[in-house]
Amino acid sequence: MSVPEAKVSSVAERWDRERVLALAPDAPSQRTAHSLASGRAWTATGATAEADAVWGECRGSAPAPYRAVVDLTGPAYRCSCPSRKFPCKHVLALLLLWSAGSVPDDATGPPDWAGSWLMTRAGKASRAPSGDQAEPKDPRAAARRAEQREARVASGLAELDRWLCDQARQGLAASQQAGYAHWDDIAARMVDAQAPGVAERLRALASVPHSGPGWDGRLLEEYALLHLLAVAYRRQADLPGPLRETVRSRIGFSLRQADVLASGQPVRDYWQVLARRDLEQDRIRVRRTWLRGRKTGRDALLLSFAAAGQALDDSLTVGADADADLVFYPGAAALRAAVLARHGGGTVLPDDGPPEGGTIAALLAGYAAALAADPWLDSWLAVVEVIPARAPVPAVCDADGGGSLPLHPGAGHCWPLFALSGGRPVTLAGEWTPRGLWPLTAWDETGRAVPL
Amino acid sequence: MSTWQDLVTASLIGTERAEVPAATVPGLPDRTEAVSDDPAVLLLDRAALLTVARRGGTLIRPTGPAELLPAAEPDQASAVSPAAGRRLGRMLGGEHPDLLAEWLTAAVARDRRVPAHLLPALLDRARRVSPSDPELRRLAAEAGGSRARWLARLNQDWAFVTAHTEADEDAWRRGGKSQRRAYLASLRARDPVAARELITESWAAAGPERVMFLSVLASQGLSLADEPLLEAALDERDAEVRGWAAHLLARLPGSALGRRMAERARGCVRIDAGVLSEHLVTSPPVQWDNAMRRDGVSPRGGGNLRQLDDRTHLLHEVLARTPLRTWTDEFGRTVEQILAVSSGAWAPVLFTGWSRAAMAQRDQEWMTALIDWALAGGQTGTLFGAETLRQLARRADPARCARETTATRAAETPPPVRDAISVLRFRYDMLKELEL
Repeated sequence: MSVPEAKVSSVAERWDRERVLALAPDAPSQRTAHSLASGRAWTATGATAEADAVWGECRGSAPAPYRAVVDLTGPAYRCSCPSRKFPCKHVLALLLLWSAGSVPDDATGPPDWAGSWLMTRAGKASRAPSGDQAEPKDPRAAARRAEQREARVASGLAELDRWLCDQARQGLAASQQAGYAHWDDIAARMVDAQAPGVAERLRALASVPHSGPGWDGRLLEEYALLHLLAVAYRRQADLPGPLRETVRSRIGFSLRQADVLASGQPVRDYWQVLARRDLEQDRIRVRRTWLRGRKTGRDALLLSFAAAGQALDDSLTVGADADADLVFYPGAAALRAAVLARHGGGTVLPDDGPPEGGTIAALLAGYAAALAADPWLDSWLAVVEVIPARAPVPAVCDADGGGSLPLHPGAGHCWPLFALSGGRPVTLAGEWTPRGLWPLTAWDETGRAVPL
Repeated sequence: MSTWQDLVTASLIGTERAEVPAATVPGLPDRTEAVSDDPAVLLLDRAALLTVARRGGTLIRPTGPAELLPAAEPDQASAVSPAAGRRLGRMLGGEHPDLLAEWLTAAVARDRRVPAHLLPALLDRARRVSPSDPELRRLAAEAGGSRARWLARLNQDWAFVTAHTEADEDAWRRGGKSQRRAYLASLRARDPVAARELITESWAAAGPERVMFLSVLASQGLSLADEPLLEAALDERDAEVRGWAAHLLARLPGSALGRRMAERARGCVRIDAGVLSEHLVTSPPVQWDNAMRRDGVSPRGGGNLRQLDDRTHLLHEVLARTPLRTWTDEFGRTVEQILAVSSGAWAPVLFTGWSRAAMAQRDQEWMTALIDWALAGGQTGTLFGAETLRQLARRADPARCARETTATRAAETPPPVRDAISVLRFRYDMLKELEL
């Protein structure tokens, strides 16, 4: 029996599995992609030798195979399946196969169906204008636009305040019967008024009337804080500078990160990356990464955004330290920051190790102080030394028996946290919110960080 | 705070019909003077003040005595390496979930335990797949150590963890089928002789539980001492019991069933020196009889063997039950030498038959040689051969196949071979990490 000579082709830089899985829109997609990522389901797979495109045909339930193709430079995806998830399981499975080295390089290039799509993409890319579009070209036009926006926001917030007062006048009891449109309409008007931060808060309210006992209080809290925001904007001239910045950023006047980095005072520290939480808002995924400086003891929140199909920033690993310069956004309780520069890339820092967990009393005191500066602050970094408890509701107790705080009802059973603790104190990092503590990271007995 | 609740009540009714209550915050000057004559504005102003005051003043609840859980006992075994833990996490997330049992078995054998934070996902998985795989529950409980038992007390869904560790004679006498199985399995692990005696004396009255007995025998410590029991079971009326018995006897080196199979198989495959080069001559059996049926070989198409396909099937069944030493002894060659002889169109039949035998007899030498042969481009046939290769790649010792696991990604490699390579590589890394 003659044996074909083994050919070892040059391996272009391949994405690792984690990078592929980071593209998945949700956990079920990751699982189905795994089960599809076997050579049995796939025929006619190939990749260009330059590792800029991968394609393949996958047998599915339909008689014709699904055809998936990925432009790795974008990345951009296309699949002939009817799935509305993006990227779909076929694309993810194809990328997993490719990442595992199971897709052969094809020197003859992609088949026609993949090639034509890749060509159109290449054409679009070369026509796209280059340069930083956000750079204002004409300062006078820019000033005029800014003025127009202030006027729109002012009239929009005045309208919002009238709407809020109407709600208070008619009573909130009717909200339980109201549909999503009740909030979506006013949210849409805030979008038109160029106050996206307010619109987002309003949209989130639609679920409050169905969030269980105490919904009425929670809805009143949110209405009251929106009213406070509208009043604060109206009187912004009287406010101290940092608080004015806070008000404006809560409304949705966003600063360009480049401007913040250029104008702010950098803070260099060994930043412990303590916790990370991914949320989805309006088809945009948001990653919140919480840091604490080892030298300065200062907390920082990094935000990164990704549209569907794009991967979130993965450059900071929970449990590791980053030697970096951060620049904080202006504001009354300045938490949000951006990375200006990282130093000594990749080296392990001298005092890498678990953070020091504080008491629950210290956590609440810190939050109260921050709240005094920014009354809209509703998530705050918690790093505590606690014992998790189950009854009557999932909670964490001070290690020395001082007291307890409830876990956030949305965080579920938190079984991994309980398993890790085994009834003993653990160091826990999470987000403290008015509804409870959302656990995010715990450190095991060897001092290793475990994302929960 | 009663003032807050009063405000909420007023807001539910609406300021058209309700009075706006005063709001006071202890320690702050009274801010209830009206800044607006609109009661709705007043309500929202006061609600904002109280919202922030209440958030800032969140009180610590005192810990009640019922809240704290008893601490888990410390575990003697240490956790697996971080790399092994990460891989287990990936497997629980959906990557090669069929290799979980192997991961757990290897961890238990090395006296290492599952990292605590992965236990909930592992126990959930063991609970879900359990009806088809009682072994996974046992392995999960064992590899989970004392922390798994601690968790099982908190969540009823995981009660099987303690059921396994606490199976005693009482469970055997009064328990349900799964408890009886658990007791028998733990007895078998502890004292194979006692387990066999228990099975023998319970056999006559066991009825449908006989299959369960045989599956326990299959799971650990099968030896020639079990042969009389199994040989007798070949004459049972229940076809499932007969099938299990034949399957186990075929696995057992030196069994009489193996000798009978070898007798049947020897005439079917021989080496012909040929004119130009030697080759394997294959001639499938021409008849089927009750003795073959007793040994678990069932024909296709009613046993009249008119079609070549039916005879091929029979050959395949015989090969799968024939002790592999038959061939090395008969031909006086090594496995590799036998596989190197050309077998023409019969190659796929020989490959699947010998592969099934190698997996049943857990013969690593044959498994390695068969994989090497398939990875080097041997004709495994289409569907059946691909499935056989898939199973071989999950059972063969990956360290012995290491040479192949570093090989090729050439465009012409067929998908089943690429799959086999990636599984072998995965298992190789997996077992390496568990040594750390």
